[in-house]
Amino acid sequence: MALKIINTCVNCYACEPLCPSKAIYKAEAHFLINPRKCTECDGDYDTPQCATICPIEGAILDAKGMEINPPGSLTGIPPEKMAEAMAALQAH
Amino acid sequence: MELPVLNETPAASAGGCSSHSCGSSDDQLGHLSDEIRAKVENHPCYSEDAHHYFARMHVAVAPACNIQCHYCNRKYDCSNESRPGVVSELLTPDQAVKKTMAVAATIPQMTVLGIAGPGDPLANPDRTFETFRRLSEDAPDIKLCVSTNGLALPESVEELSKHNIDHVTITINCVDPEIGAQIYPWIFWENKRIKGVEGARILIEQQQKGLEMLVAKGILVKVNSVMIPGINDKHLAEVSKIVKTKGAFLHNVMPLIAEAEHGTFFGVMGQRGPTQDELMDLQDACSGDMNMMRHCRQCRADAVGLLGEDRGDEFTLDKIEEMEIDYQSAMVKRKVIHEAIAEEMHSKRAKKDEAAAKHAEAKKLDTRPVLMAIATSGQGVINQHFGHAKEFLIYEASPNGVRFMSHRKTDLYCSGDDTCGDGESVLQRTIRALEGCEVVLCSKIGYEPWDMLEKAGIQPNGEHAMEPIEEAVMAVYEEMAAAGKLDDAEGRIRATA
Ligand code: SF4
Ligand code: SF4
Ligand code: SF4
Repeated sequence: MALKIINTCVNCYACEPLCPSKAIYKAEAHFLINPRKCTECDGDYDTPQCATICPIEGAILDAKGMEINPPGSLTGIPPEKMAEAMAALQAH
Repeated sequence: MELPVLNETPAASAGGCSSHSCGSSDDQLGHLSDEIRAKVENHPCYSEDAHHYFARMHVAVAPACNIQCHYCNRKYDCSNESRPGVVSELLTPDQAVKKTMAVAATIPQMTVLGIAGPGDPLANPDRTFETFRRLSEDAPDIKLCVSTNGLALPESVEELSKHNIDHVTITINCVDPEIGAQIYPWIFWENKRIKGVEGARILIEQQQKGLEMLVAKGILVKVNSVMIPGINDKHLAEVSKIVKTKGAFLHNVMPLIAEAEHGTFFGVMGQRGPTQDELMDLQDACSGDMNMMRHCRQCRADAVGLLGEDRGDEFTLDKIEEMEIDYQSAMVKRKVIHEAIAEEMHSKRAKKDEAAAKHAEAKKLDTRPVLMAIATSGQGVINQHFGHAKEFLIYEASPNGVRFMSHRKTDLYCSGDDTCGDGESVLQRTIRALEGCEVVLCSKIGYEPWDMLEKAGIQPNGEHAMEPIEEAVMAVYEEMAAAGKLDDAEGRIRATA
């Protein structure tokens, strides 16, 4: 069981020092989690620390591949509003 | 007629009342002790006088953050401290130290190194403090400062006080958790993500505690607030009063910058920023209780050079790698240059004081105040072409003299020509940024902008090129008075509100 960081990670360094298992490392494009080391923080914390500080919605997936912080959960921006704003921007 | 300069008048000559609110002259820093004055004298961000001469730089070493602000999009930058959408070059402490020393050796006017966004410096204690530790040892003539959201401040005060850090900026947008919940969706606290009012309450407590601890240690504290209409605009005068009571020495109220393309909560949800008038009114409301910092440029997190200029391109990573820096001899040179600048500042100031004293005796005009915009690239003179100005200094002229009010950037409302939604030209945008001003003083101006400015009711004026700003502003004001343009008691300034 392990979490996974995907390519929307912005390399903010916030998660890496918090990992009790030293499972997070900086790689070429973005931070990664070593699945053999990640314990999902079990026994250390109530919630996985990386996903608890990560500011980017969707950047961290759980063992089932689900987004731990889905769109709108961190910024409070309703996903359809965000889509609208971005669509308006592209139209220009 | 003499030259009165309110910001420069010593409090002692203010005729017994040194408070800004009674309308008499007051030095921006007049209420400070000699010890604090000495600290800020060559600090471009704190001394209105010094920022024409001394330079500052920022290094981005601290990308992680422990809170979320609704005016920030973490995919880019800390929009609180820098221009939104512009990603700064993230440096390791090693690179940051090298870059700082390279800049200090090349631009001897550079006196201050700041660590601000993107991210929160105190949420990155290892990177931030390693940078500070090494600079305070190897380059002791550089002042260090740090900007923080305050969440981790109380635990950092001890370490901060060990270095050359005598200035800390805390961004405090509220003292009421209900208001805070509308600005901060969450904080990361004791290994948990805490949302809403509870998170805001903890953040506010930490900020206030940190402020008190810094003041107790004798470290100067400046407070930044982002003015968000409909959310904290009415509340900020109260914030100003509280932070002053606790010993903060400057309060800097900055306008919210929020456009949909920044991808911030406020941008996407259509929260507007304040108008220039609303901002100035609030700054006035706060300044009764607090000397306001009006010359903040909300500079980029990695800006280099005098305020308002950016020489960052000369110091990219590959360029500094190649530079050989002999800091010992650079320090000797820097000292000589700093002393010469200090001397020039003192003699200019003495002249202004003298003029202001004479003005106090002269017969008072009975005319309304006027706002004027100045195109300048520094040194306190009108020396910039209108078309080259990326920002303008705003001065108010009145029978009481000349007072520095603020800076206005021409690109504040738009991140780039292509992304500008309403298809405004640069010139139209500039004119909009000058709302409320009646005159623009510059060294030169083209025919087309001249015409458009006049049509917008702003009189361009290139007759005072290379003259000291305050003298020119007063001269133009007197011309306007003599021509009978200032007799309408209401005044244009408030008329546009
Ligand atoms: S879930 Fe916990 S153990 Fe796994 S990578 Fe994240 S912080 Fe480390
Ligand atoms: S906290 Fe999130 S965005 Fe930041 S480095 Fe970790 S995974 Fe990437
Ligand atoms: S403190 Fe700065 S980096 Fe952190 S969320 Fe707020 S604006 Fe962004």
